[in-house]
Amino acid sequence: MKKAPGEEPHDELAVTPPRTWAAGVPAVAHALEYSLEETSARRTGTTLLTMNQVGGIDCPGCAWADPAPGHRHRNEYCENGAKHINDEATTRRVTADFFRTHPVSELARRSDAWLNQQGRLTEPVVKRPGSDFYEPISWNDALALMAGELAGLDTPDEAVFYTSGRAGNEAAFVLQLFARALGTNNLPDCSNMCHESSGFALHETLGTGKGTVSLHDLHHADLIFLVGQNPGSNHPRQLSALEEAKRNGARIIAVNPLPEAGLLRFKNPQKPSGVIGRGTQIADRFLHIRNGGDLALFQGINRLLLEAEDARPGEVLDHDFIREDTAGFEDFAAHVRGVDWSRILTATGLSRQEIEQVRDDVLRSRRVVVCWAMGITQHKHAVPTIREFVNFLLLRGNIGRAGTGACPVRGHSNVQGDRTVGIWEQMPDSFLDALREEFGFDPPRAHGLDSVRTIEAMRAGRVRFFLGLAGNFVRAAPDSAVTEEAVRSCRTTAHISTKLNRSHTVCGETALILPTLGRTERDVQASGEQFVTVENSMSEVHTSQGRLRPASPLLLSEIAILCRLARRALGGKPDIPWERFEADYGVIRDHISRIVKGLHDYNQRVTRPGGIQLTNPVNEGVYSNGVGRALFTRNTGEAPHVPEGHLLLQTLRSHDQWNTVPYTSDDRYRGIHGSRRVVLVNPDDVAELGLADGRGVDLVGVWTDGVERRAEDFRVVPYPTARGCAAAYYPETNVLVPLGSVADESNQPTSKSIVVRLEARADSPPDSRGT
Amino acid sequence: MRTVQETVEIAVPVRTAYNQWTQFTVFPRFTRTVRHVDQVTPALTSWTVALGPLRTEFQAEIAEQEPDAYLVWRSLGASPAHRGRVTFEPTADGGTAVTVRMDLAPAGRAGLLAAVPALPGRVVRGELLRFKRYIEGLGAESGAWRGTIRGGRPKRPEPERHESGVPHWPVG
Repeated sequence: MKKAPGEEPHDELAVTPPRTWAAGVPAVAHALEYSLEETSARRTGTTLLTMNQVGGIDCPGCAWADPAPGHRHRNEYCENGAKHINDEATTRRVTADFFRTHPVSELARRSDAWLNQQGRLTEPVVKRPGSDFYEPISWNDALALMAGELAGLDTPDEAVFYTSGRAGNEAAFVLQLFARALGTNNLPDCSNMCHESSGFALHETLGTGKGTVSLHDLHHADLIFLVGQNPGSNHPRQLSALEEAKRNGARIIAVNPLPEAGLLRFKNPQKPSGVIGRGTQIADRFLHIRNGGDLALFQGINRLLLEAEDARPGEVLDHDFIREDTAGFEDFAAHVRGVDWSRILTATGLSRQEIEQVRDDVLRSRRVVVCWAMGITQHKHAVPTIREFVNFLLLRGNIGRAGTGACPVRGHSNVQGDRTVGIWEQMPDSFLDALREEFGFDPPRAHGLDSVRTIEAMRAGRVRFFLGLAGNFVRAAPDSAVTEEAVRSCRTTAHISTKLNRSHTVCGETALILPTLGRTERDVQASGEQFVTVENSMSEVHTSQGRLRPASPLLLSEIAILCRLARRALGGKPDIPWERFEADYGVIRDHISRIVKGLHDYNQRVTRPGGIQLTNPVNEGVYSNGVGRALFTRNTGEAPHVPEGHLLLQTLRSHDQWNTVPYTSDDRYRGIHGSRRVVLVNPDDVAELGLADGRGVDLVGVWTDGVERRAEDFRVVPYPTARGCAAAYYPETNVLVPLGSVADESNQPTSKSIVVRLEARADSPPDSRGT
Repeated sequence: MRTVQETVEIAVPVRTAYNQWTQFTVFPRFTRTVRHVDQVTPALTSWTVALGPLRTEFQAEIAEQEPDAYLVWRSLGASPAHRGRVTFEPTADGGTAVTVRMDLAPAGRAGLLAAVPALPGRVVRGELLRFKRYIEGLGAESGAWRGTIRGGRPKRPEPERHESGVPHWPVG
């Protein structure tokens, strides 16, 4: 067993110039270095060589699709996937002794990185009311305690069941079945905070909640937009697809407030040219856009395309497609023609010439794909922005053909699958009817709570029981101080987890940590060894099976924990075969196959190499949005007004980070080393605000409720972010995201557009970094 | 571009011949050159083909498709290597005349095939004859896709045109 760090790493900031390329040999070296720090060479080999292989482990690091079977590399993973998998495969252990010497109040002062580095949880523990310590508890007593707490609620709606995208389809299905059998639709998930806006916009316009592209579409696109995303750190395997597209002649336009390394150049460590050569240039054009200017940009492009059609009638737009497959064109066109150029240029920070060059790229391209991520979804006007992407694609028929489409790039490995099998607080009646037919009980119909509304309900005393299936709800959620106070007001919180995180330390009166198997580990049940299934960003459903010996013999699988809890809490009503579910996950899949369209013959088909490809109806001309046609829409919205002396802050993650878990304090692509408490600001803004490189500042949020939200003790780093904009790492800056600041329609927190002012700290010298 | 055209008459009705042709994933059963086919969407397929020691993989887009009549394809990539058209026409005796017309670019691996006189025609004709033996032996198609494709954009056949077939609620 490796020894965990006893003390917090010393915070010492060093800044180097940002990198202009991603991956290459350093990526391999860093991945191996971190892996070998966490675990042995043998275990590293076992995890890495089975990762993303047929019959192996699905990398929990991101939801990017794997190449077809037979086309995968021997090493089919990225630096961050390798770090992530070996962070889970670590040989460090958290035991009962650890909890005896670390009171909860002390753990609550620890950093996210320190908590994570303590290692794998090994046995269930409970914090009793009034106690400051977790203590061991048997599984039997833990589940009885939770069942008792659930039985004591006034209504099932006082319980909330949160899902993180790490959970496989089977665990997710069991969780939603349990919640609904109990009588509530309170099923918030991490999707509420990452791509909810994409789901709403795509469903409304195209009648699908999912992206429409495959890897082949990306490979054969003529033009690819990467908008508000950072593939180098967050989806590195996307770079391989982009490299292939470039090889086939594609042009790439990157649109982002920060010129991220992965947007500029990729050195593929699997190819000689990536090891000793210059690699592949990714972006042919980089648009240094202001935070939240993307709606204006695409309205500008769309307006220019309409004007190009005016100049060359019949040559620019796909009139046949617009006439036969879409609705709302005239209204959209009239609106976009009226969008004022001065507003477009102000919102984007771009010149008209730059946008006209994009138009020319578009006019030269028959096949266009738009990719986006949370740089788009976490704005107040995120849904209108994504609808405008759809307008753009529809104009020239770039939907439903090879090499075209909409590509929301999802971060968590099974967020998409969890939704497919019923994790959503607003599931349609068709799904609930199917549950009723299959299991003989009537699921509740009233919509449940999403993540933001869960916190609001906790604050109002309407939620008393919280169960987290994986994840780190407290740190993922916005408005940290508000969220923490809300969670602490719960009577009971319980987390099914592999490692320690802040959600265990900021907890209810009674708190339970329920340690579970990781993706890397063998899962043996009564019927034998099990696998779980997951769905990637491109709607491919496949298996994931671990190979390692579990971190502790006392670990239960997520499914086992949930099934045992359901048996106790429901007392046999309705009659659901929880024991059979636990014994054989194939039984769960059999039920899913009768409930979820497209997953018929689930067990038989999912074990084939490559698994099941869920078709996207859009690619067969089917638009299930109630209109039966793809919808053009009229969109309005813009980033918040930024008063003079303020900046528009986006939260982002570092390269050495996975969701809420920082592995180290480094972010080498951005040249940040040794500290995460930095705010990246354009050098001209640094000067204009009277600050200096390295100056200590507090970030103070400005929001309509007048509440002062403060993130303390950050260092200013001059950085080529867009003028008027700033960037800082989450979860440290989640404290600045007001709970009430959400995207219209999707209710997603607006973590990419927070108005802040930088207040110089009195304890920091005004003119140098040297402290 | 080198053009080859071959026609083979098949003793099954047009509908049967056409339906069987739409089942691309079973082409490896009866052809000599096709090793594997993935149907990504109705209009996008990925092929692995081999001729002697030459093995190549390509993706093809079906640009036009009309049930019981024709299908037009082109390979995708930096420099498309081939494109073609298959037509299905009824014969006087109730059978089907299947014609494959194929244009091969003088580049890439398809170019190597095109460079050998008479070889492309011989390969295409041989594969067509194998298709004939296969569907005549079956006597009935093993499946069918009855949708249409216009401008590379598929449309399902009318009875199922508006059904999603998969979950379509928002995915966050």
